[in-house]
Amino acid sequence: MAHPDYLADLASTVYENLESQHDWTLLESHTHKQQQQSLPENKTLLPRPLITGLPPRRLYLHPDDQVELVKTHATYTVDETPEMEWVLPLHLNEKFTLKQIAEVFDSLELPEPLAEGRCKRLLMAIVHDDSTVVYYFVHDGIVKPRQN
Amino acid sequence: MTSTTSRPHVRISKAANRYFVFDIDDVMYLRRNHNICSVFVGTMPQAPQQSAFMGLPIELMAEEAQVLVEKEVAYVVDDSKYHPARIAAAGPQDRQYIDVVKGITSDAQRSMRETTETRKAMFAHKGASKKKERKDKKASDAQTSEDVTAAPSADTEAATSLFDTTPEPASATTKNPSVTREAAPEAWLATLTTSDSLLTPAPGQDEPLASVDVPASYPLYAHLQDKGYFMMPGLRFGCNYNVYPGDPLRFHSHFQATGFQWNEDITLLDLVTGGRLGTNVKKSFLIGGRVEGEEQRKDETEAALDVRAFSIEWAAM
Repeated sequence: MAHPDYLADLASTVYENLESQHDWTLLESHTHKQQQQSLPENKTLLPRPLITGLPPRRLYLHPDDQVELVKTHATYTVDETPEMEWVLPLHLNEKFTLKQIAEVFDSLELPEPLAEGRCKRLLMAIVHDDSTVVYYFVHDGIVKPRQN
Repeated sequence: MTSTTSRPHVRISKAANRYFVFDIDDVMYLRRNHNICSVFVGTMPQAPQQSAFMGLPIELMAEEAQVLVEKEVAYVVDDSKYHPARIAAAGPQDRQYIDVVKGITSDAQRSMRETTETRKAMFAHKGASKKKERKDKKASDAQTSEDVTAAPSADTEAATSLFDTTPEPASATTKNPSVTREAAPEAWLATLTTSDSLLTPAPGQDEPLASVDVPASYPLYAHLQDKGYFMMPGLRFGCNYNVYPGDPLRFHSHFQATGFQWNEDITLLDLVTGGRLGTNVKKSFLIGGRVEGEEQRKDETEAALDVRAFSIEWAAM
């Protein structure tokens, strides 16, 4: 089982954009769930192809963490400690439903459990035909906005 | 946020498919205990163009009315049907209403009588001084032309006697029925400016309550409301609800929320637009809806719908 070609192409477009324009490293494409089974045909297909990677700077800082850092005057250290991000490639002409978003979140397997009160997040990469890619964070839950 | 059991239910008046709360105590109660502050829509009758500082009533969103009904802290009545029904119904409240009307009527009669008497006294005083003036004038006139004295003095007498406090007019009214209706205090009828007395007690089981027509975004509203957020209409940020983490007087809103059906197609451009606008105004764009199908939680109840929500923010890259 595999994703349709256009989804694979979409993923590669975003992959290249992240690599070349945004200087991400450790990029990896995911089409199947990371299970311990040896046979590739036994792996479960993800609802959508996903990409993981490491941005050059920290992309997201939870507002509560931000408050803590401001208290300890350590805000400058944050940029230096980027976190791995999940990226969901989408095309502007696609339609999406809440159900599909929920399925994508449910298929995310995090390497380590989340801290108390934190939600999963992913980067929604929306591609347009003129090769513009815009990135939006989507949180799996009610997450208050960042202070800026 | 539990309701105090001793408190009577909040009365929500449904008029022209809008939901109003007229009682200031209810408004304060909803704001303090049920994180609903809603919009004041009452203008001043003397200055309806003054819209910056509105007063009572507040207009609830249909979602707010429905949530309060679900929590069993309020009831909704259709005003146009409820009032006539209450008047027509023969019951204890009927008796009470008539008593109130009678009380107000007799108050009105008394104050009318007092006013009439004061006025009579005032005119009598004026008339008397006028009469004196005229008499003086008459005396001087009599010296110049003696043949016209009789006629003007008779006119003056007739005019002043109209306002005299002599018992003469009263006896006249008893003879003339059309005048009786004007003067007899029994005929004064009061038009009530409020129908408070009709509204208590709260409607019982047999009285039909008005239904609330909630929009499709209701589950998201109920979910946020249950979490203690304050919601205001979202027009100014292009969404269904403006979501505040506390009383809007103390907090800026955190989210612009828009509800969707679980399987409703969402145009990606809408997400981008919402996310972009939200980031510009330091908010997060919240989308959500009621989970349907296999994923739905088994323990879902009407009071606690299974809702899933997602927050969207611009990633600044």
